[in-house]
Amino acid sequence: MIEVQNMTKKYGKLVANDNLNLSVGKGQLAVLLGPNGAGKSTLIKAVCGLLRFQGVITINGHDNHTVEAKRILGYVPEFPVLYPMLTVSEHLEFIAKAYRLEAWEERAEVLLRRFELEDKKMKLGKELSKGMQQKVSVCCALLPQPQAVIMDEPLVGLDPHGIRELKAVIAKLRDSGCALIISTHMIESVEEDWDVTYIMVKGRIARVCRRTDLAIGQSLEDVYFNITEGKTGEATP
Amino acid sequence: MNSLVFLLLRSAKNTLLELRRKPAKLLLWVLVIAGIGGIFILSLFTRQSTAGSLDLVWLKGLLFVFILIFVVTAIQKGLANGDVIFDMNDVNLLFVSPVSSRMILMYGIVRMAKMAFLAGFFILFQSNSLSVGFGVGFEGVLLVLLGFILAVGVLQIMSLLIYSLTNGRPRRKLMVRVLAVLAFLPLLAYTGLQLIKMDDLLLALESVLGSPLVDWTPVAGWASAGVLALIAGDMVKGVLFLGLLVLSGVALILYIALSNPDYYEDVLVATETAFERKRVLAEGQINPEASSTKKVKVAQTGIGGRGTSAIFYKHLRESFRANQLGLWGMSSIIMVLGAALFSWFMRDGEGGILVLLQILMWIQIGMIGTGRGLKELYMHYIYLIPEGSFQKIVWSNLEIVFKVLVESMAIFGIAGLIMGEPIGLILAANLVYTLFSFLLLGINYLFLRWTGADISAGLLIFIYTIAVIVIMLPGLIAAIVIGGMFQASGVLIGLVVLALWELLAALGCFALSKGVLHHSDMPVLKV
Repeated sequence: MIEVQNMTKKYGKLVANDNLNLSVGKGQLAVLLGPNGAGKSTLIKAVCGLLRFQGVITINGHDNHTVEAKRILGYVPEFPVLYPMLTVSEHLEFIAKAYRLEAWEERAEVLLRRFELEDKKMKLGKELSKGMQQKVSVCCALLPQPQAVIMDEPLVGLDPHGIRELKAVIAKLRDSGCALIISTHMIESVEEDWDVTYIMVKGRIARVCRRTDLAIGQSLEDVYFNITEGKTGEATP
Repeated sequence: MNSLVFLLLRSAKNTLLELRRKPAKLLLWVLVIAGIGGIFILSLFTRQSTAGSLDLVWLKGLLFVFILIFVVTAIQKGLANGDVIFDMNDVNLLFVSPVSSRMILMYGIVRMAKMAFLAGFFILFQSNSLSVGFGVGFEGVLLVLLGFILAVGVLQIMSLLIYSLTNGRPRRKLMVRVLAVLAFLPLLAYTGLQLIKMDDLLLALESVLGSPLVDWTPVAGWASAGVLALIAGDMVKGVLFLGLLVLSGVALILYIALSNPDYYEDVLVATETAFERKRVLAEGQINPEASSTKKVKVAQTGIGGRGTSAIFYKHLRESFRANQLGLWGMSSIIMVLGAALFSWFMRDGEGGILVLLQILMWIQIGMIGTGRGLKELYMHYIYLIPEGSFQKIVWSNLEIVFKVLVESMAIFGIAGLIMGEPIGLILAANLVYTLFSFLLLGINYLFLRWTGADISAGLLIFIYTIAVIVIMLPGLIAAIVIGGMFQASGVLIGLVVLALWELLAALGCFALSKGVLHHSDMPVLKV
């Protein structure tokens, strides 16, 4: 569903992403792990078509810049940026109108209820706390029922209820056949649901780890620290 | 070495070393320094005579009004959060360190002086205007800069003190407001009297500016009177007023340092607010409404349109919610009134509408970025909407084009009537102004397409301004040449030619920037 082939992103002389290859199938949850500055957010922005890059990125076989790819892509950015003069409801209405969605109202209600935003529907974007903004951002991304969802640090700023609900939503999306890429520093938050993890170091994928690759008693956290703290040097795919 | 001196010197050194890694910034500084040097050298060879220049009293008036704007701002800041003289790193590292709070205040004031200097830097570039208009040499320009820096420095400290004295005390805040009005009341009353007495605005203003009431008006009056006295060669008066300014600054500093060594809380709110504003900007929220504390009433809701047109209807909803006048805010009213006032002064002369058009076009270069369409580029939504790039750009900028069209009809309609210009000329000026905004949008997108948004903001503004001049040049030449062929209606034909050129150039820019949303990085505001 999401294919990244030989993707390189440079900022002047700085190579933020160096010849990355990544593949996430339908119903798969891929986790991006890595220390600060590893290039996770750059990769995510490139996949969403927000950055120029060298290489090929496709969503369900369509170039990621095409209308077809955008129609099935949902994105939750690292920093939720809402329109300060629109209410929560209007954010969803805007997405529905811009994406030409039909019968979206009930879905919007369900999302708002799920993230405890029902009583905030008439609040303006600028009146919301960062956590609330993050919840609205998630609702906006999920309203068009995307088949591929990219989330950059989605749990940061959420309250415990929000974290629980988002984790449940992620699991449900995966079960319904959606391809997901999630970048996070909270390894334990994805421990239950991940299928494949890409551990990034200095702009490269240092290790691709599938759940089946784990030894008995080994956790994702163990693999991460082995790679990032240089205890093992397993091959890059 | 004292830790604070180390901090100041090392910061200055690192700023210089950083230029080695940022050639664009270095180039900008080289151009600025070369520009100032060039102006200085030019002023040595073209020492002007004062014959034919405007009276220096008008320069005093300009300086007075200019500093007055800073006075009002400083009082408002003082009553709200105080002025920003520290950064968040000072709060986190210095405030908790075992360094005397008084020494830290001095450190803050030294850094603040640097900011005041940078704020007044543009005055150096007014050398030519001041020379032509008032017969002021380069040394006079430096004196204007000195007066400005001193005034801004004093005002920043005053703002801090106002906050310190009035924070959480509504009665004291009211008292500051009353005192602020009282300080200017004698001048206002005297201006009114002079107007009634002389029945001529210019003569009355000239008389007011020559009176001691202006000179003794706090800060704005002291600075303008001191600078103008020194330019005119009156050393005693100059030293008296600028000395008064320095002394009041020193007195304010001493008062804060001696009376309130625990001033950290007083500067914290302003520092944190400024830091938060920068953080939000860096995260992509560049809408000023996001940080506004103005209470907004949500009455009507809902967004019209479908597909890309939803962007335009969203802009309408946002604008009308932020402002009762919708697309046309206070800036539009100021522009219309300013143009009307300008026309009133120019009503007996010739070519007033052309001068007005020229001034407004220069303002427009900076104002175009305030439209919601260009701001959309800093948020991810517009990139992800599953519609064509071109349609998204057209619909997202319809709001600013509509705004400028109506604004220009009001501006040139009223101004044209006052100046008694023919209807054809008014319409032509309207057309040139509106199409100029269309061209500016095109140039913005073309820049984004070519640079991929991978360029520093300072350099971008510099190159953008040059590009606007270069792109407009063929149209201007054609307008002058073709317009010159016709005697009676030459100006009208020239304007039509210019408008046609703007349209062609804008279409060219939009055509060349095709697919811009797919071929550039989402820009991030570097603060």
